Amino acid sequence: MTPIIGSVDLGHAYGDVVALHHVNLEVPPGTTGLVGANGAGKTTLMKILLGILTPTAGHVDVMGIDPHVDPIAVRSRVGYMPESDCLPQDQTAADFLIYAAELAGIPTRAAKQRASDVLTLVGLHEERFRPLGEFSTGMKQRAKLAQAIVFDPDLVLLDEPTAGLDPEGREEMLALIGRLAGFGINVMTSSHVLSDIESTADWVVMLDGGHVLREGPLSTLVDAHTVEVELFDAIDEVIDALDRAGATVRRTSHSLLVSHPTADPFATVRDAVVAAGASIRKLASRSHTLEDLFLGDAAPSGAGVETGRSRTP
Amino acid sequence: MSEPYATDQGAVFDLGYVPHDGPRLGRGAAIRATIRDGLRRVLGLRRRARKKVLPFLLIAISLLPAVGLVGFLFLSTTLTEADLTDTPFASHANYFDIVAGPVLIFSALAAPALLISDREDGVLAVYSSRPLSAYDYLLARGAALAIVVGGFMVLPQTLLYIGFSSLGGEGFAANLLEGGGDYLRSLAASVFYALAYGMPALLVATFARRIGVATGAYLGLMFGAGVFSRVLVDAGNDWAAWLAIGDHPHVVRDWLFGRTTPTLIPVDAGLDSWASLLVIVVITLATGLITDRRYRGLL
Repeated sequence: MTPIIGSVDLGHAYGDVVALHHVNLEVPPGTTGLVGANGAGKTTLMKILLGILTPTAGHVDVMGIDPHVDPIAVRSRVGYMPESDCLPQDQTAADFLIYAAELAGIPTRAAKQRASDVLTLVGLHEERFRPLGEFSTGMKQRAKLAQAIVFDPDLVLLDEPTAGLDPEGREEMLALIGRLAGFGINVMTSSHVLSDIESTADWVVMLDGGHVLREGPLSTLVDAHTVEVELFDAIDEVIDALDRAGATVRRTSHSLLVSHPTADPFATVRDAVVAAGASIRKLASRSHTLEDLFLGDAAPSGAGVETGRSRTP
Repeated sequence: MSEPYATDQGAVFDLGYVPHDGPRLGRGAAIRATIRDGLRRVLGLRRRARKKVLPFLLIAISLLPAVGLVGFLFLSTTLTEADLTDTPFASHANYFDIVAGPVLIFSALAAPALLISDREDGVLAVYSSRPLSAYDYLLARGAALAIVVGGFMVLPQTLLYIGFSSLGGEGFAANLLEGGGDYLRSLAASVFYALAYGMPALLVATFARRIGVATGAYLGLMFGAGVFSRVLVDAGNDWAAWLAIGDHPHVVRDWLFGRTTPTLIPVDAGLDSWASLLVIVVITLATGLITDRRYRGLL
């Protein structure tokens, strides 16, 4: 499958500060999560993809077009929702959306229809004649998403789309993002909230300090076939039985994490428990989360990545 | 469209998302849309009423003398255009002295509204995901300012042209032809006024972060340069006449209409008319280059 975004040894520096270094990407069509702490280089990468910033090293292409060589061609097909505000305070949502569509070359009549449709889609139809300066944070985020998709782009870049939202607003925004792929729009969402990426992306790029830590399908990255088992008694006997069966066992304060390179870990645990005559309190699968991967791979500067539940120290 | 949620009271349809299969008009359409948005913004159109007050008040101030003059000539049975040659605003050339003040104030308000709002509200990020370069954006914003500022002068000049043409004894068509030369000269002069007053306003707005600061700085620059220049020229430093930004379009107007106003600083200092034209051209080019450089990396 032809990658929608590809880069080879991509680099960018702001003077002496290196923001991106040897970034090699092959992002397939679909929904991609760009994960990294603040300052990891996510926004810099997005600005390079739009042709706003020029790479200081390497090469990048977006849908087969080099944004440095032909930024207009890329911008005709790519929507962008920035992290910061991008809405004129004194304009109504409807007027701004019509203008945002016309700016992309949509004829006026079609722009009016699309503005109305997209405002309905993001849940702002009732508020369409209110000035954007009167909108709440959640409404502004939805208006920002609306302007990014109003001209039916092939790819939309969403920079921290859930920033500043309360839990309910966050869920609504994630649900909207989740629907975009079904509309035929490829999505790249940048976030430092890992659970947001887990719930929306099917391809993940992890950035740390301007480097790519990992890149691949979410399912491959997070699925490690590990079983978590809690026992009432005979813990040591069960561990011995698991060792004999060739399983890898990690003991935590209250449970055992069991994996097996070839066999089904559930069956291995079942057999070990029976052999040891132990009683099970809890048995469940335990996948790696992006948080596990990120905290395992990232340098200490990875602080600032949020799990969605609590901020890491 | 998904299956409707139906009850015995009715049905709710989720229209979902409809892709755009129609034409995409490209870069030209984006520039035209930006110009249209600029015109609406500076005139306060599709904004709250208070945004419209000042621009339309200034337009009224620039139009009223022309409306009054033409109306008076229509109502009067004895007066003709020739009887009014000594009236300050009763000619195409003189009318620029009336509109220069409102045009200056309007430029001071409009240029910051065009550039600073987009920068401070972060709207440039939207332009950066549209088929528009920084150059296109600045060209469109400059065009919007030029159209409105030019319109400020062209509207009353057109009114005078049609009004004067309606009054003479030779008939409307013959008078239109006879007065056409002056009207064309007034259109050309309007372009130079728009450039001389509008470009410095855009330049100031390129760097200021607040609209009020930009407006004050621009008016301070224009009046300050005039006062500074006058003091130095009076002290025998004729080179300072180059700095009298506000007077140069008046000199070019006089050049176009084949007349001279001795009180203008460049004339007083003995500068040739082409020097005033050169100042306007240099200001225009410098503003273009500096704003383009400033916006690279932003858009």
